This record gives sequence, C-alpha cells and structure tokens, in this order.
Amino acid sequence: MAEPAMQLIGLKKQIGSKLIVKGLDFDIQPGEVFGFLGPNGAGKTTTIRMMVGLIRISEGDVRIQGKSIKSDFKGAIRHVGAIVENPELYGFMSGYKNLLVFSRMIPGITRDRIDEVVKLVGLEKSISQKVKRYSLGMRQRLGIAQALLHRPSILILDEPTNGLDPSGIREIRHYIRKLAEEENVAVIVSSHLLSEMELMCDRIGILKNGELISIQEVHSTDKDVPEEMVKIDCSAAQLENAKQLLQEKFGIAAVDNNNQLLFPISRDQMPPIIKALAVADIEMYAVAVERKTLEDKFLHVIGENVIE
Amino acid sequence: MSSNFFQLVRNEQTKLYSQLATWIMLGILVVVVLGFALITRTADNFTTDYDEATWKQELQDQNESLAEIDQADTQILINNYRIENDLMPDGMTAWDFLYDSNMLTSVLSLLTIIVAGGIIANEYRWGTIKLLLIRPATRTKIFFAKYTSVLLFALTALIVLFIFSWLFGMLLFGLGGDGSVLQVKDGKVVEVSVWTRIAQDYGLQLVKLVVWATFAFMISAALRNGALAIGTAIFLMFAGSSIVLFIYDKPFAKYVLFSNLDLTQFTTGMKLVEDLTLTFAVVTIIVYYLIFLVIGWVLFTKRDVAGN
Repeated sequence: MAEPAMQLIGLKKQIGSKLIVKGLDFDIQPGEVFGFLGPNGAGKTTTIRMMVGLIRISEGDVRIQGKSIKSDFKGAIRHVGAIVENPELYGFMSGYKNLLVFSRMIPGITRDRIDEVVKLVGLEKSISQKVKRYSLGMRQRLGIAQALLHRPSILILDEPTNGLDPSGIREIRHYIRKLAEEENVAVIVSSHLLSEMELMCDRIGILKNGELISIQEVHSTDKDVPEEMVKIDCSAAQLENAKQLLQEKFGIAAVDNNNQLLFPISRDQMPPIIKALAVADIEMYAVAVERKTLEDKFLHVIGENVIE
Repeated sequence: MSSNFFQLVRNEQTKLYSQLATWIMLGILVVVVLGFALITRTADNFTTDYDEATWKQELQDQNESLAEIDQADTQILINNYRIENDLMPDGMTAWDFLYDSNMLTSVLSLLTIIVAGGIIANEYRWGTIKLLLIRPATRTKIFFAKYTSVLLFALTALIVLFIFSWLFGMLLFGLGGDGSVLQVKDGKVVEVSVWTRIAQDYGLQLVKLVVWATFAFMISAALRNGALAIGTAIFLMFAGSSIVLFIYDKPFAKYVLFSNLDLTQFTTGMKLVEDLTLTFAVVTIIVYYLIFLVIGWVLFTKRDVAGN
C-alpha cells in the first residue's frame, strides 16, 4: 500500500483536566474521501484544528506525507489545503485579491495557477467583485479555490456544505469526488449530516466523546452488518409493555420513535418475536423491516445523543 | 526566507490599504493638519511679521513682558542674542509650522494605535486567522510581519504629516529663511539646523508613539480583542503623565514607564521624577518595550486558535 496521505498517531488533546480527544489512530489514503462524523461536541473540530496546527497537540502526532505537523510544521502544512469551519475571507477585498494574498504565502504559485483555480470553481464572472457582496455559495467556492491554490495532496473541509442550498451542496460534492478521483487528493470532510456523508465519502469515521468508535466503509455496509432494522407500529398505550417484553424475553433494547419501536435484528429471529408480541395481546398495526441506513447505524453506534 | 518575510509584510500592507478605514484615518490626519494651520494663521500672536526698522524694539518689549512672568524664560536669551548679533527673526514660516506640527504626533499615535490594536485582533474577528496560520509560514514570522507593517504605517502617516504640514505651511505662511532656529543649550544660545530640529522635535514624540503602538499590538496579539487593545493604549498614553503626578515621590516612581517615557523632560530640564537620568530612562523604555513584544509574541505563537 502506498504511503498514507495523513496519519493520526495516538492523537490526544487535553484542556485542563479534561480529555477532549482521547487518542485517535488512523490513516487516510491518497485519493480517498474520508468523512468525519459525530454529534456536536464530539471533538471533530478540535481534531481538525490539530491536523492543521491551529491547536497544539497534547500527546501523539499528525503526520502529513510522513512529516510531523509538530516538528516540521512548514514541511507538513504545505501539502494541506483547508477550510476550517466557515469560508471566512477578507470581505473588503475582491475575490482575486484574496487569492493573490494567499498565493504570496506559498512560493511557486503563478498568476496562471490562480486563473486556473478560479475557472475550476466557476467564479470567473465575480472574481473581481468584493467578497462582502458574495453569496454563501460563492464564498464557499472561493474558500475551496484558496485551499487548492498550491495543489495540496490533502484537502480538509470542515462542514463544507453548511448553509448551502441543495444545488450548492451537489456542486461541492461533485468537486470533492472529482478531486479525489482525478487528482488523487485525499479529502477529509467533517459533518454532522449523515445523508450528505454517505453520498460523498469512501470511509466514515464516527467520533463520540473524543473517541473514534467505528470506521465504516460506505459501500460495503451490508456485508459488515447483517442486521436489519425492524419497525413495529403498535398502540401507544401498550408501547411500554411491548418494550418490556422485548427486553425480558429477547434481551432487545428497543428505541421508542414516534410511537414506533425500533430495534436491529437479523431476519430469522423475527417470527418468534412477532408471535410473542401477539400472544401478549399487543395490538400491532404494522411490522416493517428496513434496510439499515447509515443514519440508523450512526444512531445505533452513538447510542443516545449524549454529550458528556 | 527573507523574501518570504517580505511577502508577508507586503500582504499586510495590501490588506491594510484595501480597507476604507485606513484611508479615512489618513484623510483625518490631513484635515487635522489643515485645521491646525488655519488656527495658527488666524491667531495673530503667532504670525508677527517684523519690520526692518522696529524689530529690535519689539523684541525688547517682548523681553520685558516675558520677564514679568518668568525671569528664566529662554526666549529672553534668544531675543538678546538676536539683538546683539543683528539677526532679524523671520516671523512664521513653513519651517516653523512644520516644527509646531510635532504636536500633531499625538494624532499620529492615535492612528497608529488603532492600526496596531486591530491588525491581529481583526483576523480573529473576521475568522481569517484560520487561513493565515495554515500556510507554510511560522507564527513568529507572521507576528513580526504584522508588527513591521504597523511601523510602516506609522512611517507612512509621518510622511503624510510632513508633506501636508510643509505644504499648508508654505501656502499660509510662505517659505522664508533656511529653517534653522536659535535654541538655548546649557545657558548658551546656539543655532540649530532644520534637520536637527526636526529629528529632535519629532524623534522624542515618536518614542512615545512606538511604545504605545507596541503596547496595543501586544494586547491585540495576546487577548485578540481590538477594542480593548486600542482603548487601554489610548487611555494609558493620555493618562500616563497625570498618573506620574500621583506617584512621583514614591520610591518606585522611577521604574514606572510613564515617568521615563516623556524624553522632552531631559531637553527642558523639567524632570518628572527627581533622580532620573537620560540613560536610565532610555534603558527603562527599552526594557518595557521588549517586555511588551515578548508577551505578545509568546501568547500569539503558543495560544490555541480554538472555536468561538
């Protein structure tokens, strides 16, 4: 296997006595779109900020193309293009001047390259306008343009679709896939929107309370988890009874969702459960089996949305 | 390395002069100079034009009235020197106005403090700090590029002050003499050339400017709050000499920055604190100055850039 584009080695962040990020270990490969998923407060932003050196690493390291962000900041960061949180640029300058300013910070970026990047993100018409007149979508594109100026091998986008309309989201998704597939760029995307991530990413790391609790391959989920999601629609009054029954007889912790019980189970275990519920006089209106979506998996892995 | 630093300074200048506020500040400076010139012109005691036949008598009269107020007034010595050596005063000229404009360096200080207080804090406020610090340039370099940019702004504003003082001075008072003046030094009257005078008048004021601008820059870098940086620096600059009045007889008074900062006390001989010497004052100022820079630098390079 080729050298990973980025390696996280026992990455920890401690603020005061509290561990915000509790030791992350994983690699990101060139040409891969890696999603970073987790509820708010899980440590996504802290981790991303450590990756680009905005926040100091308490323990462990981040290696970019083999270079440590701690000991060789300049060598490591020159491979990285990033938007951290919102695409905040200088509003009082034109889009072009913004790019010009950033291009001067890295040697070897020609004016031709600036024009090329502007064309890539489709901002030719408005590049000479002041950024404060840009829409959020245009800012996002300019943000991507500044991140791509120096042909980075790793692109880090923190919540890239935040606040964009559906067509804007589709466009960003298209850029990201294209960069990964055509230019072999490793892209790291963070989000709390699961459906978004599913469409964009090759792999998704799920972060909870500063720990990486699972890494899922997006396109092979069925093989990994044979379980299916069962939805039982029963009368509201009997919901608790049904829940209790499932717990006692089958050891299933069902989740109450809009007067429907949700739980994961394999298909062949279903008949005895239905029978037991019927015998217990639980009035059921519908029993449905759903293929587990990433969202369910996410909720399942995360458990309740508890932030410590 | 050095070209990299030059590019960073260039970027800071580009950003500074892309902001309307910067141009408004320079505009205000020009308006203040014009206002000062007009006030000086209309206040007639400033603009006495001497008559070839009567100037000696006029100086005699002036001496008598000055002596009533203060026997030791140095102007008396100068007037006597003129009468003895048959040197008729030129009256008010553009050169004199240029000297008088050194009072306006307090406006210059104000503007420089505003720039110094904002130059780092604004990047945090705009969110652009996250893009600035993820480039292959160390934080130390960015810190000093910004500081250099502040000093360059002060220099630019000083040049604007010079040019317009001289210009308005020439229009309103005319160009007369070679700009040299008579001054009392150690009880003797000496002729001082135009450039010595300018260096002396402005130089001592600029020490104050640089110290308070550095103070504002430190607060801006350390606390990332522009308003606080500008507010405290301006307050201390103006309140400083009043504070000395309360503490001048205390044993620690000579170690307080305010006691040392007004270097004109050594040219006029009116010391704020009894046992101060010029060398001691200069060393104290340098120590404070370095402390400001080091605090700002350490906090800017070490503190995490965390979310809002």
